[in-house]
Amino acid sequence: MTRNGISRLAIAAFAVAASASLAWGQAEPLRIGAINPYSGPLALYGDEVSRGYQLAIDEANAKGGVLGRKIELLRGDASSPPQGIATVEKMASQDKVEVFVGTYISAVSNAASDSALRYSKVYWDTNALAGDLTERGLPNFVRSGPYADSFAEVSVAAAKDVLAPALNKDIKTLTIWIEHEDSIFGTSIAELQKKLIEKLGGKVVGMGAHNFRAIDLTDSILRAKAAAPDLWMETGYVPDGSLLLRTMRDQGFKPPAIMMVATGDTFETLDALGKEYLEGIAVVGYPRPDQTEAYGPGAAAYLAAYKEKYNRDPIAPQSMTAYAGMQMLLEAIKAAGSTNMDELRAAAAKMDKPLKSYATGFGVKFDPKFQNTRAFPTLVQWQSGKVVTVYPKDAAQPDVKLVNVPRK
Amino acid sequence: METFLNILISGILLGGIYSLVSIGLNLIFGVVRIINFAQGEFVMLAMYATYFCTTYLGINPYLALFVVAPLMFVFGLAVQRTVLQPLQNEPMMQIFATFGLLILFENSMLALTRGEARSLSGGYSSVLIDVFGLKVSGVRLVVFIVVSGIALALMLFLQRTMPGKAIRAVIQDRQAARLMGVNVERTYLLTFGLGSALAGVAGALLAPIYTLSPYIGGNFILAAFAVVVLGGLGSVPGAYLGGLIVGLIESFSGYYVDPALKQAIWFIVFVAALIIRPSGLMGQVGAEEVGLREQT
Repeated sequence: MTRNGISRLAIAAFAVAASASLAWGQAEPLRIGAINPYSGPLALYGDEVSRGYQLAIDEANAKGGVLGRKIELLRGDASSPPQGIATVEKMASQDKVEVFVGTYISAVSNAASDSALRYSKVYWDTNALAGDLTERGLPNFVRSGPYADSFAEVSVAAAKDVLAPALNKDIKTLTIWIEHEDSIFGTSIAELQKKLIEKLGGKVVGMGAHNFRAIDLTDSILRAKAAAPDLWMETGYVPDGSLLLRTMRDQGFKPPAIMMVATGDTFETLDALGKEYLEGIAVVGYPRPDQTEAYGPGAAAYLAAYKEKYNRDPIAPQSMTAYAGMQMLLEAIKAAGSTNMDELRAAAAKMDKPLKSYATGFGVKFDPKFQNTRAFPTLVQWQSGKVVTVYPKDAAQPDVKLVNVPRK
Repeated sequence: METFLNILISGILLGGIYSLVSIGLNLIFGVVRIINFAQGEFVMLAMYATYFCTTYLGINPYLALFVVAPLMFVFGLAVQRTVLQPLQNEPMMQIFATFGLLILFENSMLALTRGEARSLSGGYSSVLIDVFGLKVSGVRLVVFIVVSGIALALMLFLQRTMPGKAIRAVIQDRQAARLMGVNVERTYLLTFGLGSALAGVAGALLAPIYTLSPYIGGNFILAAFAVVVLGGLGSVPGAYLGGLIVGLIESFSGYYVDPALKQAIWFIVFVAALIIRPSGLMGQVGAEEVGLREQT
């Protein structure tokens, strides 16, 4: 190639690059503020949630962005409510953030969404669980993911549809012990579980509350042991969940089925108990990418994209729920034609997609309080040290079978 | 009956854990007159040190004890010498300083671990002794045996040796001890080091039992304060006995009343002890006031 040729090529390349940047440059990028803890103790999952957002945004940007604008994710570090407020204020006033998304910590979500309202910005919640977030009726709040009640509902449905039949019983003859940590999180889920079980004609033989920071939980286990339930289900955090299972093992309490709700599906529990003991323990958790393509269309593609971008498997399933939540948000922005609070919420209210529309198996239909009524966790089971989706039936891979129920 | 005995056993073993954490705290409390809020974090640091020794260096956690406890002894000396001794004449400031240490240690560990819960692998926690249906957890039994041994050894040390006698003299009256030629500063240093080493022992023995988190120190320390007050300031047998009593109360009230109320119940005992016998079960009557008296 001649020198002339090279310079012509360079000019052409420059022109292409310039026109591309011009196309993006016509409008300011659409800035979305992702409120999550990115430092301190809670950062691991904060990062993970935002990875989900980023993957959905990358996907949208590859297709030309939204409203003709490139989407940019700005991270706002918040691990406590005061930090949440300060971060939202800074991002709304200085960084020109138009919409906020966030976080798996309910207390932060509560404060940050309140703060976003003062700037008339939508706060699109993807991962927080507390029921009261939507109960407040905040005019800028939308929750796209499952919440505490959905976890309670799925736990009871799974007890009825999966665990009871595996024990050759039905929900009416199945005896259940409900164990929960005693703050609002565990208590609200446990109370709804009890209500739902009794509505189905089932039998709750006992309920136990424990402090998640307790040094010893032998009393809780001995109480449950005395009631001899078929199914022991527990809602709590990681350390108390592990301590309960260890104590259970030490005290020789072997309920035929064990179900953990909301935690217990990560390597932390695996480290504490080992794969032999965990074999067959069921966990109600966020949908995981191992589910079928029919249930969660795009789950496999999501997993591949995650692996390519971050060079590893997802740390926790929370990121896929965040990914689906971001997709819904972008669809709502597109439908609204703007990020204006009222218009965006109005567009969200009109969204109507059946279950199994997203990689998580979610659909979208908001109730009047702007809680997505088509977002549910799934039931997974520990099998040979891995977590495998087993319920709903069509979410489980065809070759997956329930193992070790009743427990040996 | 079997359930009753199982609760009794679990209460005694839990009491062993409380005693183990409390003895070091009580020694520091009774002698140096510092409410060491960071004692739980000392235990936490020792647990992580044990985790490190076991996971990365392949040392058995019970052998790691002999690495971690001396390390914590030196660590305690350093803290006493650099942070607390300069504040010796300002007891309130010392308390704030230990509170600052608590926050510092907790957050440093949070930053290092990013809040991930860790557990020792190797199945130490699953050893179980089953005697006629009575379940005795191996790791907890070890704690109980070791703490009983430590209590005995410490009592002998305080009764029979010169440094021990110096410590007792300082517990009784700092000024008089100084007049009698006791090197009070060195006694403080020794005591704080000893208290930290005991936290080291606790950390090594508790690491196989619990899932480690940077906050775990706080879980122990609340009960430990109740134990110290119940048992008596500066009294080793008091801390030992106090730990057992709190463990038994917790175990029985948890089973027969309600697990959610057990902390409330032992705090009622704590308050009652303060009202009825403020010097504790085995503390020297009047000793509890010396800490409040201005001493120079």
